[in-house]
Amino acid sequence: MLEDIPVLSILTFLPLLGTLITLLLPQSRVRFIRGTAIAFTFLPLLLAIALYVSYEPIVGGGAFAEKLTWLSIPLNTEAGLADKGATSYRLLFDYRMGVDGLSLPLVLLTGAVASMASLASVYIRKRWKLYYALFLLLQTGMYGVFLARDLTLFFIFFELTLIPMFFLIGIWGYFGREQAANRFLVYNGLGSAFMLLAFLILIATAGFSATETASGTTLSFSGSYEVLLANLADPNAAVNQDSIMYLSDNLKWTAFILLVIAFGIKLPIFPFHTWMLKVHAEAAPPVVMIHSGILLKMGAYGLLRFGAFLLPGQLQSWAPVLATLGVINIVYGAILACAQKEFKLVLAYSSISHMGIVLLGIASLNEAGFEGAVFQSVSHGLISALLFLIVGSLHERAETTRIDELGGLASVVPFTSGILLTAGLASLGLPGLSGFVGEFLSFLGLFDSYPWLVAVGVLGLLFAAVYVLRSVLSMTYGPLPDRFAAIRDVRFVEALPMIALTALIVLLGVYPALMTDMMSHSFDGLLKLLQSKVGG
Amino acid sequence: MDITFAQYAWFAPLFPLAAFAILTAMGRGLGRAGAWVATAASLLSFLLSLLIAIERLGGTAEDYTGRIEWLRAGSIMLHAGYEVTNLTSLMLVIVTFVALLVNLYSIGYMKDDERISVFFGYVALFTASMLGLVLADNLLTLYICWELVGVCSFLLIGFWFRKPEARAAAKKAFIVTRIGDLGLLLAILLLYWNMPNHALDFTSLYNVFHSQSDTLSASLTTLIALLIFLGAVGKSGQFPLHVWLPDAMEGPTPISALIHAATMVAAGVYLVVRTFDIFEASQAALAAVAIVGAFTAIFAAVIGLAQNDIKRVLAYSTVSQLGYMMLALGAGSTAAATFHLFTHAFFKALLFLAAGSVIHAIHTQDIREMGGLGRRMKITAWTFGIGALALSGIPPFSGFWSKDAVLAAALDESPWLFAVGVVAAFFTALYMARLFFLVFFGAPRGDAKAYAHAKKSPAVMTVPLVILAVLALLAGFVETPWNEWLGSWLSGEEEEGGINGLVVIASVGASLLGLYLGWLFYGRRSSSGNPAAEKASGLRRILERKFYVDELYELAFVRPLAALGRGLDAFDRVVVDGAVRLAGRSVQAAGKLNTRLLNGQIQAYALCALLGAVLLILAIAGRRFW
Amino acid sequence: MTMLGSYLTLAAVLFCLGLYGVLTKRNAIIVLLSIELMLNAVNLNLVAFAKYGINASLRGQVFSLFTMTVAAAEAAVGIAVLISLYRRRATVNVDEYDELRR
Repeated sequence: MLEDIPVLSILTFLPLLGTLITLLLPQSRVRFIRGTAIAFTFLPLLLAIALYVSYEPIVGGGAFAEKLTWLSIPLNTEAGLADKGATSYRLLFDYRMGVDGLSLPLVLLTGAVASMASLASVYIRKRWKLYYALFLLLQTGMYGVFLARDLTLFFIFFELTLIPMFFLIGIWGYFGREQAANRFLVYNGLGSAFMLLAFLILIATAGFSATETASGTTLSFSGSYEVLLANLADPNAAVNQDSIMYLSDNLKWTAFILLVIAFGIKLPIFPFHTWMLKVHAEAAPPVVMIHSGILLKMGAYGLLRFGAFLLPGQLQSWAPVLATLGVINIVYGAILACAQKEFKLVLAYSSISHMGIVLLGIASLNEAGFEGAVFQSVSHGLISALLFLIVGSLHERAETTRIDELGGLASVVPFTSGILLTAGLASLGLPGLSGFVGEFLSFLGLFDSYPWLVAVGVLGLLFAAVYVLRSVLSMTYGPLPDRFAAIRDVRFVEALPMIALTALIVLLGVYPALMTDMMSHSFDGLLKLLQSKVGG
Repeated sequence: MDITFAQYAWFAPLFPLAAFAILTAMGRGLGRAGAWVATAASLLSFLLSLLIAIERLGGTAEDYTGRIEWLRAGSIMLHAGYEVTNLTSLMLVIVTFVALLVNLYSIGYMKDDERISVFFGYVALFTASMLGLVLADNLLTLYICWELVGVCSFLLIGFWFRKPEARAAAKKAFIVTRIGDLGLLLAILLLYWNMPNHALDFTSLYNVFHSQSDTLSASLTTLIALLIFLGAVGKSGQFPLHVWLPDAMEGPTPISALIHAATMVAAGVYLVVRTFDIFEASQAALAAVAIVGAFTAIFAAVIGLAQNDIKRVLAYSTVSQLGYMMLALGAGSTAAATFHLFTHAFFKALLFLAAGSVIHAIHTQDIREMGGLGRRMKITAWTFGIGALALSGIPPFSGFWSKDAVLAAALDESPWLFAVGVVAAFFTALYMARLFFLVFFGAPRGDAKAYAHAKKSPAVMTVPLVILAVLALLAGFVETPWNEWLGSWLSGEEEEGGINGLVVIASVGASLLGLYLGWLFYGRRSSSGNPAAEKASGLRRILERKFYVDELYELAFVRPLAALGRGLDAFDRVVVDGAVRLAGRSVQAAGKLNTRLLNGQIQAYALCALLGAVLLILAIAGRRFW
Repeated sequence: MTMLGSYLTLAAVLFCLGLYGVLTKRNAIIVLLSIELMLNAVNLNLVAFAKYGINASLRGQVFSLFTMTVAAAEAAVGIAVLISLYRRRATVNVDEYDELRR
């Protein structure tokens, strides 16, 4: 049934429809606006779950594919091409969507985190209409990023996430929100520029394809992911110097490094991380849930999708570099998290540390590592969303989240404290909760090639225990300062997303096969390529 | 195929897990009824374990293994499974039995606490994870449960979360044991990539390491064994990672009995026993185990001499006894180690519960404020005395037999290890005598009112004491020098018996000497009343400060790390973020410079345009001649 | 063909004179006149190429007629702007015209 309808497009553009409806509603009907927004956030989640249920892992991936020609720009016929019997020669911008084992977990993550963030948006106090309109628009961008199967389309969706996010940070954040929004935009804009350059290099060379039709051969350049994948994997296609799609090693390296920088900023890789500290500290909690829970994962996704799949040779040569960067991220982030006094900054640095584990997984170049990277992305998305949900709830009540000011909260908000402790334990990689699986798989993957780096990296786990316990315990344990004696525990509407996220974290931790089964076969092609590189 | 109880062994952890789920879901609303839910669950587990053990005692049952696929990542398969052998069934009985008694005891001990159902929930979760650890058929499953018991221990140490000391102790326990856990994790990773078929289950480990097949190089084997041992060192509180265990006494006393005496801390020993094939393949690793164990045994016993907190004395005693077990393992005798683990579980749980009974009565843990309690609390005093005698290794109490086995194993290995063991036995007897006489004999030294209010503990607390006391008295007879039943049951091989007169005389002599000196110093003199008159010599101060190990760690690790954190924080702000700001500023500055150049006069603009055109022409022309 | 070189040289000289005037003179009227000089240099080029160029045709001369027309219009607009500026600022010194800065 799902195959018959353009389910991916519906999934992607439902929130956009929600944006339009929200904009049409009168400003004063707050409850109505909120209800609409929540409905249009949950509908894609339901669709995503339906996708998950009917998804069969297949070799090659790209299920539920949709394809439309969007823009077709004729190019000047070059003299040489006319000889080959080509009748037309064009630049194609396709609308291509598809889902595979790499993107489906992230789509589900997006649905889950966005839904919980929509519930958590009760903390938003002003300009609801604009807020929800942007919030929904952002979701279209995020779904699009994970589902797009065309470089140009991906780029457009990627940019589409920046603009709503800029306003969401800049209007509804805390005191330093505008500076944070500016930093966000400048850094990510820069990243997008690098990404665009890399995409152009790829489109103008390996994006070449020839299609036979009744009226003759059509030669075209396009950003189609499948075409690129096939051309770059074909040893004869891109290597031949005379070929129109010849991509010299220099160009490949240029594209690869541009991609690493572009997605490294997003991930973020040290030293490109300072922008996200500001965002974590200054944006409103539901916005940070989205940001830390999903947007950072777009970096990991992009790096895997384009860096690893399209340019595996370069990834292979750079694996030591990426692994080292990953370890630096892990240890640097963890040590800095130990030194922070503001809980939001502890979480920000811990995100840096955890995304380092994703890098390790990618650099390990084997299946355990890749799946570990995706698993860690999803798990960190859930955990940090939960943690920022709690931050929002605490900030609402205590009006501070500085760990040296808070204390003894378990006496007055036992439920929140319990969830906070659980989330903290998940974050430090306690088995039985989802954080452990991603870390274990990533370390397992990397250990095969770089045991020493792993030995250093596990130090990060030790520091994780230090910073999590230090911050969580000093906030919830110990004597209760008098000024917090009057605060009350969460209401049901706040407890609901907390319970849901905790349940997901426990579920994935206890039975990770729920997610790893989805990913099986997703990396087969890539692994074969990597192996042939080793052999040759 | 016959249906055996072993097939259903996985229910054993499931009962307490279900209890935990119920207690967590119901929250505090359940109140004291929650305690009975948890106790019922642990009773069910105990009965099941007993059935399994009885079945195995028949001697015909095969080892049973069951597993499910836990995670598959392409070619990588990770399993979760359970395995029932003689060793695991023995551990099952120990764990469920102590857990059951502690549950019963806690109903009395914790009855006034408003968070009683939370407490029982944690205990149930702990029991479930500990049973999982015992049953695990592969290292990964074991590691998962290993971490879970650690977190339960952490939660329960910090149960009285309002106390800053409890918070600090909980944090310390988690972080220090995690150092060891990371060693275990690395060992698992090493094994995974080096074992044939990436197998992690104990059967494969046995096959690979027992056959001396050189699948793994000698240095790799040693490395793996040492890393596993690091995990055991953390969990079992061996030097140098012992610092967390005495602090862990901030938790409720039943927890000290269950987790920090009988079961979890013994998990380190259990881990080494389970992976003993790896250790046997490496002499260096065995020697390390023996040396660390022996050193810990004597080191902790000496510290125990000077502690004034009743639970801390017992905690150091636990550390020291775990050292004995490691010593036995290092000397190559898993039977002696398991035997000592078995008896120690009973008498140390007994001692802690009796101590809890004392604390419950007079609300202090400082032995300088106790004294003369023997008259008011007869059952507690008697049972504590039995536990103390068992711990000191006086025949025919259980501790004598097991300590004898350990020392015999040590003598086989090296006279030095044996000597250290004997000296440690002397100190053990000395500190136990000190503790016993100071608490139960002499005149009350503390708050007179508290003493007057001190009354007998309720039956729900004393019954477990009596049961444990009986076991502390009798449990040793499962393995005597004449009848090595336990050892042969565990290993499945007949072992020849024999008594070593030297060992018996040395150990009993040392213990008796210790008890006598203890009576001399504390028993006799305490009637005249002032133990504080003990000279505060330099040595004593060092002992009271526990050889300054905590201070040393503070200086060597905590402070430098904190400084590093602050340094990196400054680096992040000044250098990394500074570079970012510099980039931003320089762009702004460049913009400013341009505005100054373009002063609003057409002619200046035109000049710029001209210069640009000239540059362009030069570039185009220049390219010709390039 | 040698004639073409002379015409082009003359045009170049005229253009440079005009450029010099535009860039250096302070009087707005003279700047406008200099612009006319530059335009005339272009016209000269057009006519020269129309006569002596590779594809000689009338097109260049027609173009120069267009240029003159446009130049006349431009001069008219320019002087109108100048007059209104003069009314506001009471000066024809271009140094004092820096409205573009704002």
